[in-house]
Amino acid sequence: MIGLGGTLSIATDALGAQTAALEVASNNIANANTPGYSRQVVTLSSAASVQNGTTVDEGVSYQGFTSVRDAVLGMAINAATSNQGGLTAQNTLLAQINSAFSGTTTGIGASISTLFSDISALSTNPSDPSARQTVLSDASALADAFHQGAAALSSASSAANQQVSSAVAQVNELSQQIAALNGQIATSEGNGGDAGALTDERDELTTQMAQIIGISTTQTGEAPTLTTTNGSPLVIGNSSYQLQVSTAPDGTAHVLDGQGNDITKELSGGTIGGAITTRDNTIPALSQQLDTLASQFASAMNNAQAAGYDLNGNPGAAMFTVPTTGSAAAGITMTLTSGSQIAASSDGATGGSGNVKTLLAVQSSNLPNGADPIASYASLVGNIGFAGSQVSSGLAATTSSLQQLTSQQDSESGVSIDEETANLIRYQQAYSASARVISTINDIYTTLMNMSLGEG
Amino acid sequence: MRVDPNLSSLLNAGIQGTEQALNTAVQQVATGQRVNVPSDDPAAAAMNLQSLSESASVDRYTKNGEAVLSQAQMADSALSNVVNELNQAITLGTQGADGSMTSENRAAIATQVQSVLSQVVSQANTTLNGASLFSGTSAAVPAFVADGASPPGYSYQGNSGVNSSAVGDNLQVNVNVPGDQVFTNPNGNVLGSLTQLITALGSGTTTDIGNAVAEVRSALANVSQQRVLYAGVVNQINAQESYLSQETISLTSQQQSLTGIDMSVAVSNLTQAQIAHSTILAAAAKVLPTSLLDYLK
Repeated sequence: MIGLGGTLSIATDALGAQTAALEVASNNIANANTPGYSRQVVTLSSAASVQNGTTVDEGVSYQGFTSVRDAVLGMAINAATSNQGGLTAQNTLLAQINSAFSGTTTGIGASISTLFSDISALSTNPSDPSARQTVLSDASALADAFHQGAAALSSASSAANQQVSSAVAQVNELSQQIAALNGQIATSEGNGGDAGALTDERDELTTQMAQIIGISTTQTGEAPTLTTTNGSPLVIGNSSYQLQVSTAPDGTAHVLDGQGNDITKELSGGTIGGAITTRDNTIPALSQQLDTLASQFASAMNNAQAAGYDLNGNPGAAMFTVPTTGSAAAGITMTLTSGSQIAASSDGATGGSGNVKTLLAVQSSNLPNGADPIASYASLVGNIGFAGSQVSSGLAATTSSLQQLTSQQDSESGVSIDEETANLIRYQQAYSASARVISTINDIYTTLMNMSLGEG
Repeated sequence: MRVDPNLSSLLNAGIQGTEQALNTAVQQVATGQRVNVPSDDPAAAAMNLQSLSESASVDRYTKNGEAVLSQAQMADSALSNVVNELNQAITLGTQGADGSMTSENRAAIATQVQSVLSQVVSQANTTLNGASLFSGTSAAVPAFVADGASPPGYSYQGNSGVNSSAVGDNLQVNVNVPGDQVFTNPNGNVLGSLTQLITALGSGTTTDIGNAVAEVRSALANVSQQRVLYAGVVNQINAQESYLSQETISLTSQQQSLTGIDMSVAVSNLTQAQIAHSTILAAAAKVLPTSLLDYLK
């Protein structure tokens, strides 16, 4: 049997429980726009005990609050974020390369056409010194165009190196912060508290890290273990493992794990993965294609020169020199010093233009790479375009799937102001009702007091 | 099921999407180009480069054609003068062959033929942009120089080479006819026959003069024959020029269809992008301010 005292204590507990619920709702509202914040829900349960074989209701019991989050969804978001980070890095670098190769009236293709047009003009007036000088400056301009093409590719490479270096520094900072949070979370949960906000912060930092480097998360015991995708540890419990950057002899930035092993090739995803993929796979393939074009074009032109005679009746000298080591496109130089050295004549007659045909044939003949010079260049530009469009459409797809995942996560964990407002009203009403119970009990007590006083 | 309460992030993504579409549409209208960087359409960008190179070839064929044409026309007009001079020499020679002529008369005619010869030599030494038209591929200026040791009194400085120039992918035209083929051809030697006529007028018999006139006639026939070569080149180039201008038009339209965008399409894309953008902005304006709090007064 319950007395008035019991009812009073039920109402008092209820006041406390509703106050706690109001506090959770107000905390949710306060953090409605905090990135990574997961909404919290109060856990209330009806308290009861069994006394002498009879169930006795003892009102409401406040069991604390829990954060609503879905760990699997979180991992999917991290994976998509890594993917997006990688593609963003690639997209930035490839956009840079694409705009460098977007010229239709400038650049290597146009320079090749101009060179051949001016060589062709020699056919009608081969001894005209100004026409010869024009050919010479066209050839220099073409060598410069090759240099610029090579420079566009190598500057994208060095941008990638900078990205790797600065991204590694960010990863190291984040892994320290995450390890510190893991320590605090362990302490807080060990004391029986809910580390909700701390866990949210850690998850947010983890997602930030996923943007920079591909990570995999394994839940072992209390805290998740963070490693790179190839398994090099980043954070285990409350200790973090620092990555290092070392510069290879060729100037490329390599990533070393905590033990000093070179893990550059194994990394994927995130800014680091994207920059490394572009630097080590995409750009070298394009550079090689450009270098092949430069060296094969140079030797074809030199062969055509050697087939003829210059204005002074000497056998044609080499028009271009390419370095034997290193990039042909970056090192190609125009070696003729005078317009008279253009080998227009096929027989040594100074006014002959028989060899112009041979020089022009270079434009329409296939180089050893299987295509004529313009087609080779067009295929290079096509490949640059394909690399760019592939990455940008991949980026668009990943961004929209990340958008969906985030929306799905928000539908689980996001704070709805409307919902919290409705909750506030509910808790407020329950609070008022409990307070009314107390005042009712108070009235009853007063009545009882007055009654006994009146009898006395 | 709970829905995503965070409408603003959904709307932001949508607004960014339509804004990007609007940017693209505006850029396409402004530039008239659909492909601005290779990644916009890699295949079209690559084909466009090849097409541009073909355009450059066509331009170069046209330019070569013009250069050859001006040389051929100049050479033809020089040869036409030579024909006139030779006709005059034949008339003079026929007069000189008349038995009633005194030696003084013949000497006077010989002087006239001598001036015909100088005229012919000066035509043979015609230059264009500093280069002799009739010195083969030797670049010798002048093509013929006075030389007492040589039988016609002039010696040829050039060679028998012929330059050719490309005016089409597989079409080469000859740029020149060598001077020895025109002026000192064994089948009709212009300089030789005129010298022979002068000598015959000075000292020879009417028979010698008659023979010399016959030589001049065959030289005239030869020059007329060589002129046909130039006329042939001129015809070839004129025919090729109309083909090349057609080619330029079709290549330009090819490039336009590869990388350009039709204005009507571009403008309708822009209109669509504008509508989509204002729709989502209107949706955002309606949805974002709505809150339960508005109704709890």
